[in-house]
Amino acid sequence: MSRSLSQEVAVIGVSCTKFGENFDQSLQEMMVEAGTAACQDAGITMDDVQAAWLGTFSPGFGGGKATITLSDALKMRGRPITRVENYCATGTDAFRNAAAAVAAGQYEIVMVLGAEKLRDRAVRGLQREGIHPYLEAGSTAPGLFALFANRYMHTFGTDRRVLAKVAVKNHGNGALNPKAHFQTKVTEEQVLKAQVIAYPFGLYDCCPTTDGAAAAIVCRADLAAHFRKELILLRGAGLAVMSGKPFLDSTVDYLGFPSTTAAAQQAYKQAGISDPVKEVDFCEVHDCFTWTEITNYEDLGFCKKGEGAKFIEEGRSSLTGDVPFNPSGGLKSFGHPVGATGVRMIYEIVTQLRGDAGARQVKDAKLGLAHNLGGPGAVACVVILGREA
Amino acid sequence: MKGIVGYAVRLPAYSISRDEIARAWQCSSPGGQKRCIRFDEDALTLAAAAAQDCLGSLNGLTVTGLLFASTTAPHLERLNSSLIAAVCDLPSACATIDLSSSLRGAASGLLMALSLVNGGQGESILVCAGDTREADLGSAEEMLLGDAGAAIAVGNQNVIAELLATATVYDDFLDTVRRDRDEFITSFASKFSADRGYLAPMQSAIQCALKQAGVTVQQVSKAALSSPDKRSHLQLAKKLGLAESQAQDIRFNDVGLTGSAMPLLVLSGALESAQPGEIILLAAHGNGADALVFRVTENIRNYKVRVPLAKQAAGLAYASYTQYRKARDYYRNVENGLEISNVMYAKEEHQNIRLHGSECYHCGTRQFPVTQVCVSCRRGDQLREIALARTGTVYTFAQDELYPSPFPPTLMAVVDLAGGGRIYCEVVDCSPADVRIGMPVDLTFRKIKEGGGLYHYYWKCCPRRGQ
Repeated sequence: MSRSLSQEVAVIGVSCTKFGENFDQSLQEMMVEAGTAACQDAGITMDDVQAAWLGTFSPGFGGGKATITLSDALKMRGRPITRVENYCATGTDAFRNAAAAVAAGQYEIVMVLGAEKLRDRAVRGLQREGIHPYLEAGSTAPGLFALFANRYMHTFGTDRRVLAKVAVKNHGNGALNPKAHFQTKVTEEQVLKAQVIAYPFGLYDCCPTTDGAAAAIVCRADLAAHFRKELILLRGAGLAVMSGKPFLDSTVDYLGFPSTTAAAQQAYKQAGISDPVKEVDFCEVHDCFTWTEITNYEDLGFCKKGEGAKFIEEGRSSLTGDVPFNPSGGLKSFGHPVGATGVRMIYEIVTQLRGDAGARQVKDAKLGLAHNLGGPGAVACVVILGREA
Repeated sequence: MKGIVGYAVRLPAYSISRDEIARAWQCSSPGGQKRCIRFDEDALTLAAAAAQDCLGSLNGLTVTGLLFASTTAPHLERLNSSLIAAVCDLPSACATIDLSSSLRGAASGLLMALSLVNGGQGESILVCAGDTREADLGSAEEMLLGDAGAAIAVGNQNVIAELLATATVYDDFLDTVRRDRDEFITSFASKFSADRGYLAPMQSAIQCALKQAGVTVQQVSKAALSSPDKRSHLQLAKKLGLAESQAQDIRFNDVGLTGSAMPLLVLSGALESAQPGEIILLAAHGNGADALVFRVTENIRNYKVRVPLAKQAAGLAYASYTQYRKARDYYRNVENGLEISNVMYAKEEHQNIRLHGSECYHCGTRQFPVTQVCVSCRRGDQLREIALARTGTVYTFAQDELYPSPFPPTLMAVVDLAGGGRIYCEVVDCSPADVRIGMPVDLTFRKIKEGGGLYHYYWKCCPRRGQ
């Protein structure tokens, strides 16, 4: 019988840099900013951090390949540092590993830091690195997700307008978020008329590539009261890996992401959640493309397969709905610095649970879910955090 | 009996109107259109496509040789025919020979192949050709040259046209020349060239072959004659005493002068409408001439060509000369840096080039690529390598504007292969508006990238041909 992470681990500090085109900051500078601010938020110093997990995805530019990137930035010497890379789910998986080490009793206080600098390169889209030169030739991130969206829309008769609603909602939330990459609202018409990137995705259906860093301080639950008055505990964390080449797997139906469902089931079980739509107060989910958020509603169990369109059309995922999705603005609007995104989600969940989210505050936020997706559904990580009464 | 056992032609899906080229250069147009490659095609891919179609009609003959004729083969050092043989998934004991530098290379290849098939029963040798010749930009020839691939299989069983006689002559005559360092042909087109470089050797070889075959000109039903221009073959027919109508159409008006592929293309055209008992003459020129005389057999009635010429009309046209040039020069201008290890190439040749996958003995699932653990039942001890089907249907697709391409969007599809196995590849020869879920497709071997001093080839798919 495996031991649950639930109730063992607390998050006592979080931070996040401004996301966007951070041309005035290097990768190291963003890491220092995020790491220092997280320690301050927790009321600790860097010396109190016993181990660290670094989440970076694309090591090609500006460093980030190895643990030394973190030790050199923060001069964190003589302690264990582990680098985690798990596609776009890198940040949450770094957090999950850090939490597991604390829950195991190996450390009392550790740091999770995700960082990425994607805007220094003058290329459109995310660089596809380390892929098979033949079997994956011709692939891009929007192209790979469009394969899913087209099959899904063909099967369920979904309209592009439904996808546009996700962009409108998340841009609207991002407009309330001073750290978001994009802080402007968009209209449904703007979304539908934008330049096509990979049909059905237009420009506003795609998240941007972004610079940014985020950090969290994770601590043993029984020690948390020494640092913060409110107690925010990890309630569950699941990770599921599927194929990185779903396009070669004839068992894949292209209607959603079983990795999300599997990771969510793990997390729900640990958290004792049987009906997420009633029990979870809000979600930060991986909306790399608008359609991804639609399938996330379904794959996470908030509605049935094929009913994601109805879920957003009824306004249930809006900031004032019964389960707000992406109050931060999501990847769509907050931005997507790959390795940082998952840790940024933890930052947003904690900020909401503390009631510190300002204009984008979710009412009565007690239990929040972060969902990170990597590859075209290859990896999914779900983390659930709750505020103790 | 030995002779022709199969034939196939592959015309590229794209065309350009000659008027459009003339408009760009402000010169006069000979009218009509020519067929031309997409940026991912070359002489090798055209020939390989024709070779596969031809092999598909052979009904299980053992292929013991593959000859490839071209003046524009992509590799000057690296055996092009061995790559085509691998694409055709032929066994390693197959003889592979490249025939270069002559427009009559394919006809010479037929002479050679026919002399090689004396051996065992049920044996066949494939001769394929492809050309994508270039003339100086803005020259009159630029409007004439067209791209095509074609293949003829010879053998000693199920013969559809029996070989009666052959003849060859050579002549070191200065006609059309392209040196090792040249991109474009240099042509001495003139009446003297037509008389001395074309008519004289062709007449000489043809007369010799007919005499050997014991056949008079009057007995010839169809003459498949190559031609250096729009109409010299008609003049030759007349000189031989044939009616112009007996000279098989060289497809100048709608395809162009197709170089090494022309003799096989014209012969295929003749075979498509041939009746048992007819005498067919093939003659090809180029620093001399080769002539072959065949008599069509009863087997022609049962032969089913994979995609008849009549079903290969150009589906897509380049709207302007600029687009046409862009399609030809894209990879020349874009070195996109893909480098691979030859260890990986060797290790994965069966899957990447031969399109092999695995079949699970336990659950029967077919899968691509060659794999160690079954994707369906997850057993790791029950898999055997198999050749996968080269047809399928589109399961889902994407129209990707982001992927670098001279003509975005790049159409990408997840294709379920007939009989099982799933592949992810580009959809080519298809306008973006036409791609749809459930669309039947043929796999087609194309260039995917250039880089590290290599052309990289892999599989793509196109709308099912011949429908």
